[in-house]
Amino acid sequence: MVGYSPSPLPERVIYGFVLFLSSQFALILSLLWAFIPESWLNSLGLTYWPQKYRAFALPVYLLITIVIGYVLLFGINLMSTSPLNSMYTITENYAKNLQQKKYQEDASSTLRDIPISEVNQMFFFAAKELYGKN
Amino acid sequence: MEDERSFSDICGGRLALQRRYYSPSCREFCLSCPRLSLRSLTAVTCTVWLAAYGLFTLCENSMILSAAIFITLLGLLGYLHFVKIDQETLLIIDSLGIQMTSSYASGKESTTFIEMGKVKDVVINEAIYMKVIYYLCILLKDPMEPHGISQVVPVFQSAKPRLDCLIEVYRSCQEILAHQKATSASP
Repeated sequence: MVGYSPSPLPERVIYGFVLFLSSQFALILSLLWAFIPESWLNSLGLTYWPQKYRAFALPVYLLITIVIGYVLLFGINLMSTSPLNSMYTITENYAKNLQQKKYQEDASSTLRDIPISEVNQMFFFAAKELYGKN
Repeated sequence: MEDERSFSDICGGRLALQRRYYSPSCREFCLSCPRLSLRSLTAVTCTVWLAAYGLFTLCENSMILSAAIFITLLGLLGYLHFVKIDQETLLIIDSLGIQMTSSYASGKESTTFIEMGKVKDVVINEAIYMKVIYYLCILLKDPMEPHGISQVVPVFQSAKPRLDCLIEVYRSCQEILAHQKATSASP
């Protein structure tokens, strides 16, 4: 984003304080709701609040979601790894444009993708003295 | 001229590479995978039969035991015929093309041939396969683009040798391809 910097600004102070207050308020409220018996809440007139069962169920749901999130992320990574016979292990859509630029003598060399054949020649032919003994 | 050396695959198992130089323009590389070990076969059979016996003690139905025997036999036959590859061969003939043969443990052989007009290069590529591995692959030319690659064909897929073995095969292949380019460039 243009012009974005993480420095403290007056607006951010206010946002932060509002977030802090509201999160503390939500915490105190949920604790009160969980511990005060149903009859007292009803006598105060607060009848349409969630069942007390939710005080246990929602944290458990959240924890299980986090655990499944780990498994899901691992699975997504495995699925999006390209197979060994796919073109994407060698090149991709944006790389193809750079390969076709012509070589100019007087200009500094443009940034381009080196074709895999050249890379292989450099690694595995030139390094004969490293591997050539066996 | 024949030459045999032993290497190891990415899991640590032992492979044997046999190189045959038929002529300056024709070479063959034969990788032999480790055989089906008695230990793993016994382990799988024992687990399947113990599980079947456990089910039998729960259900008191003796069909489960005969079904387990059947499944083990069929599974072993299927594995030997469709999955377990004993030997992989790569034959390069200068003017003709490249042939890859996989022979399975049951004797079945499956062959793929790529003609030399389609072959752009043989390279060692790195990719992720649970970890980063090196594998040899054949790059095929794209008829539309002169410098493009249309397809990547990996070789030695079930043997999966390590880099030292791949470098040997790569160098030999490059000699033949250079020889082929030289002879095709000069009409």
